[in-house]
Amino acid sequence: MPVALPEDLVEFLESGVSIIIATRDARLRPEVLRGLGAQVAPDRRSVDVFVNAELSQRLLSDIADNARIAVAFSRIHDHRTVQLKGVVLDVSDVSREQSVELERYRVAFAEQVAMAGLPRSVTRRMRIEPAKALRVQFDQGFNQTPGPGAGGPMEQP
Amino acid sequence: MSRTCGPPSRCFQGIIPSILGTVSPDGTPNVTYLSHVHSIDEERVALSCQFFNKTKENVLRNPAATVIVYDPVTFEAYRLELEYEREEVSGPLFDSIAMRIRAIATHIGMSDVFRLRSADVYRVLRCEHLARYIDVPEQVELDDPGGPRSELRGLQLISQRVNNASSLEVLLSGVLESLEVAFGFQYAMVLLATARGLEVAAVRGYAALCLGAEVKVGEGLIGVVAQERRALRISGVENDLRYGRAVRSAIEQQRGLGLGCPELPSPGLPDAQSQMALPLVVGDQLLGVIAVESKQRLAFDEWDETFLEIVSNQVALALARVLPERAATETDAAEERPTLRFRFIAHDDCVFLDDQYLVRNVPGRILWKLLTIVRDTGRTEFSNRELRLDPSLGLPAVRDNLESRLALLRKRLEQRCPSIRLPTSARGHFRVEIDGAFELSEGESLER
Repeated sequence: MPVALPEDLVEFLESGVSIIIATRDARLRPEVLRGLGAQVAPDRRSVDVFVNAELSQRLLSDIADNARIAVAFSRIHDHRTVQLKGVVLDVSDVSREQSVELERYRVAFAEQVAMAGLPRSVTRRMRIEPAKALRVQFDQGFNQTPGPGAGGPMEQP
Repeated sequence: MSRTCGPPSRCFQGIIPSILGTVSPDGTPNVTYLSHVHSIDEERVALSCQFFNKTKENVLRNPAATVIVYDPVTFEAYRLELEYEREEVSGPLFDSIAMRIRAIATHIGMSDVFRLRSADVYRVLRCEHLARYIDVPEQVELDDPGGPRSELRGLQLISQRVNNASSLEVLLSGVLESLEVAFGFQYAMVLLATARGLEVAAVRGYAALCLGAEVKVGEGLIGVVAQERRALRISGVENDLRYGRAVRSAIEQQRGLGLGCPELPSPGLPDAQSQMALPLVVGDQLLGVIAVESKQRLAFDEWDETFLEIVSNQVALALARVLPERAATETDAAEERPTLRFRFIAHDDCVFLDDQYLVRNVPGRILWKLLTIVRDTGRTEFSNRELRLDPSLGLPAVRDNLESRLALLRKRLEQRCPSIRLPTSARGHFRVEIDGAFELSEGESLER
């Protein structure tokens, strides 16, 4: 039974932070992609991470092969970053409710990157449809805020 | 295989962070941001390694890596499949990456922990343009430097101003003005090398308040350029500073205390997004640094750097021509100054300068002691403590009021003998500055 994510981490993951994803194929070659939002399940034991369907062929084929995944969540203005690792339980097309979540993410993400000087008009051009939802169960968490402590384990994912 | 998809070179200026994926031998993927992917040639890129992290641990055992870089103008994404080859811990590649990191690290007061450990070289196996990542507008405005003809005309203008300059002031203001008029460098400054470091000698676009500001060699962008005597160009300055500050705050949290060394105040724009500095060197002598800034993230490219290097070389040669004249003029002035003749009249407890009364009692005895030491030993640095401990000055053991006596002496010198000054050099320490030569004599009266 996986442990539930702490409440304050849930808030962080869903706050419009930058999301990046890595998977790997059978030959241990990595694939990377930007995530388009995350929604933590009510029981906090899994997270739906959204990706651009047209850019995720390799990612999905990796997941079909071994399901292993790493997702880093990073707040742009202070670089607070956590990386969660686990397995993908399920891949699906996004639901109508999730489409609303994707749009909400694009607005929140645009606010974050605007603080770093990237105009909102640019972030608005980022393609969010068609999208897939990856249901991920995380079993490891790492602090990845830049510095000598980066890479250390979090107390719990 | 070469990077046939050809991400534009601006993707490698470190303006938008890249995404890097690696895999550990047990099959666990890892993903991280990278502030800068450096392009070495068509087939190789370099990644900076500041801390031994999971990425490095992974590629040492499984060399496969994948990175996505972004175009800072169109925001299109490019995916590169990489293979780790080797790390470099010295040499030109290492030096050029290390220099950029040092400029940021010294600026935020963290040069001891925030430094380059290695430049990691990767071979590019495959490159792909991720066409469906973002909608790209049909027309993207790209800066046009104006074509070779206008560049040549601009160069000719600067060349003329440099050649015709008869004095340092005319040379520097002429160069900075032409840089703006011909090439649009709105914010520019020239710093000249001094015994203590560098000093802002001319500015364009900044408040005149910047003039005289000092920069230490080896600190910040300008100081590092002076130390290395190599040009340095940083785009996305704010990103770099934010990243460095995140590291600093992580360390401060870890140690539970501040690092003690504050961020450097630097002359120039507080909100610069692009900076470039070039050394002014003739032979092996550093004469100064020319620095330009912009509020745009992608203001300077290779063209600007190459162009400014040509300008810098011309300015350096002209400086070498003008500076000795200035030094000579100053020396002449020193030679023309009459010798200062001081006489200490013991029974009146006072000091005369050229037969005119100057100062008496404790301040007089302090001045006499200082001048005697300067004459006999050449020492010019003094501490308040050594004066307090000197019984010949006759200071009371308690409540000696030394500071007020020194203040009185300074005031008297300022009024009657401005050629001698006693500026404070550190807490409880001061320096004796004397323009020109002086003589000391002692006696019972003014008769010699």
